[in-house]
Amino acid sequence: MNIRTVLLLVALLLCSIAVVNAAEDQYEFKNATQAQTFKELTLELRCPKCQNQNIADSDAVVAKDLRDKVLSLVHEGNSKQEIIDYMIDRYGYFVHYQPPVTPATIILWVLPVIIVVLGFGFIVFRQKKAAKKQQWSEQEEKQLEKLIAQYQRKERHQ
Amino acid sequence: MNRKILGFLPFLIFVLLCVFLYQGLFGNPRELQTGRLGQTMPSFNLPDLMDEQTRWTEKELLGEVYLMNVWGTWCPTCIAELGYLTRLREQGVKIVGLYYEQAYDPDFGDHFDIHALRNEVQTMLGRAGNPYQFNILDLERSLALDLGVSGAPETFLVDKQGTILLHHTGDINQRVWRSKFLPVLEEIQ
Repeated sequence: MNIRTVLLLVALLLCSIAVVNAAEDQYEFKNATQAQTFKELTLELRCPKCQNQNIADSDAVVAKDLRDKVLSLVHEGNSKQEIIDYMIDRYGYFVHYQPPVTPATIILWVLPVIIVVLGFGFIVFRQKKAAKKQQWSEQEEKQLEKLIAQYQRKERHQ
Repeated sequence: MNRKILGFLPFLIFVLLCVFLYQGLFGNPRELQTGRLGQTMPSFNLPDLMDEQTRWTEKELLGEVYLMNVWGTWCPTCIAELGYLTRLREQGVKIVGLYYEQAYDPDFGDHFDIHALRNEVQTMLGRAGNPYQFNILDLERSLALDLGVSGAPETFLVDKQGTILLHHTGDINQRVWRSKFLPVLEEIQ
């Protein structure tokens, strides 16, 4: 790849960024907090039609409707949590990417902790067991020293 | 003995994981349930599809068990289920249509031709069968949003008190009717 191609690619990339920015600027808000809330919500709410896309990403009719609804609710001064509850009331927990902690979903939080605790427990248990197996008395220590001394002497004689 | 059981553990976890993932193959991710299940019909005030002088509210629907069928002429599956729904109407099931207009978006200043739509609906119902007592026109999809509708066709089963008992995404056919709707209907009668 020569320098000209690289420059061209960079230029193209910059162009596409400019286009993306232009697309985002079409909504007007009273203040920066509302704009921020709207942005967060459209990223966090899930499109019920084209699943695995958030409503900011999706072009489905229902996603557009949800965006419009979020916009008008933000304009009315609702808080982020109020708008999330409004959507969950209508579309169920599915519509929010953050699952709630319920008896059915608690395993999502508990399981990783259990696995980590069990894993560490297993390591500690094994080390302790291995340490117990090695019984080393003072007599054995003396014997070992004697053997080492013997071999050292042998080497010196050679 | 203890060691043997421990050796089996990875295999056991593997089998459980297989069962879990295998089940996932048969789940339908499109089968969404509205958050309104078990609640009363949200309030609305919308015109009749065929006559804008007539307006419908949730109060006029009280006192009878009915199906609310979300549909549109733009939706092939909705047209396909008209035949079966018409047979249900002949058996005495009350079906109310909620007309879901997909193309209309007020933000773009869309022009909406109600007469063309009425003609189209009439032709379509004349050809495939008319299961509806009447149709409610939800041009801005406000009731659809309040009901948690994500597309068409979708059908709600509502009882005499206006409580939403069932929400079905997708078409209604004999199999769905027998396995999903009939048991609930028998329970409330």
